[in-house]
Amino acid sequence: MANILLNVLIAFLVGSVLFGLQRKIMARIQMRPGPPIIQHLLHTLKFFIKESTFPKTAAMPFYIAITAMLSVIWVAAIIVGPVTQGSLLLIFAIYAIHKIVEHNAGSSSGSPYGKLSCVRAVFSAAAEVPLFAVLIIIYFKAGTMNIAQIISYQAANGPLIYSIPLAAAMFFVLILSKAPYSPFAITKGKDIISGYETEHFGLLRGYLMMSESTAWYMLLWVFLTVFIGGLSPLWYLVGMLALSTIVGFINATTPILNPNHSIMTQVSFALIGIVGSLVLLLY
Amino acid sequence: MDKLKISSYLILIISIAGILYALLFNPPPWIVYGISIIFIPTGILSFGLISMKRGPKKDEEDKNREPFIGY
Repeated sequence: MANILLNVLIAFLVGSVLFGLQRKIMARIQMRPGPPIIQHLLHTLKFFIKESTFPKTAAMPFYIAITAMLSVIWVAAIIVGPVTQGSLLLIFAIYAIHKIVEHNAGSSSGSPYGKLSCVRAVFSAAAEVPLFAVLIIIYFKAGTMNIAQIISYQAANGPLIYSIPLAAAMFFVLILSKAPYSPFAITKGKDIISGYETEHFGLLRGYLMMSESTAWYMLLWVFLTVFIGGLSPLWYLVGMLALSTIVGFINATTPILNPNHSIMTQVSFALIGIVGSLVLLLY
Repeated sequence: MDKLKISSYLILIISIAGILYALLFNPPPWIVYGISIIFIPTGILSFGLISMKRGPKKDEEDKNREPFIGY
């Protein structure tokens, strides 16, 4: 239990600081001073003591329960990932539920922005779920979906990023789509205010941000573990910093795409990645 | 104290008790996982519902009212 609590705390703190780092990098590229790196973490904590009300149009208690659902799935991901090194299939299922949570958070709020975001969540799932299906390529290569066995496979045969680079690139596109201000962040595009989170303000926003930070940490953890191998805590941190920095550069220099372009770009990546990886595996 | 506050206190106490049980008594792993998946999120949420600031009662109606609900 202590191990799980420690991992949840680390995931939240590291994820929040990495989000803050991304914003700082984006600001510096855009010639702005930017907020302090710990600003995202402070925002998250601040929301817990802010005044909160629940809109009349919200579907209670679903409106509150859906925020707990996001936290539940990412705590489960921590148990499946760093704590037990279980099956990648469970991580895939958790990611699929994450898309459902985005959809339902939007629809439960009663806000038109939330509802538009809820439609976009379904739309983007059509592209992001195939990107996550990259995991099947890992199965073809390593012969297992168990994280501990994938780590052992890489210890014996070298990191998978060298043998299936297109699969790694696809997973990176998926990670990119979960970053704030990402070109693929259509569910939280600024044209619909904050998307599915628009009507979740105050405490519930802080709670959602907490889960999102954990989700960010977990996605980076899965990438590093599955494509590079089991690393020491320091190398995990270095890897996460490097990936977040690259994402910050991309987000600072690209606009948020409109939904059609975003989905088509992601689907194109998925198609190239899956077909290309299968060809690489055959030859 | 309103219904939300009372239920939040109740959930927080149950969550902390569950987590302490898992910490102190070393139950089988599946129970520890179950406790973590349910009680860590509910503990944080109930703590938030207690710690959040509530506006004056008389303003609540104005804040809850949606100007447009035609969707």
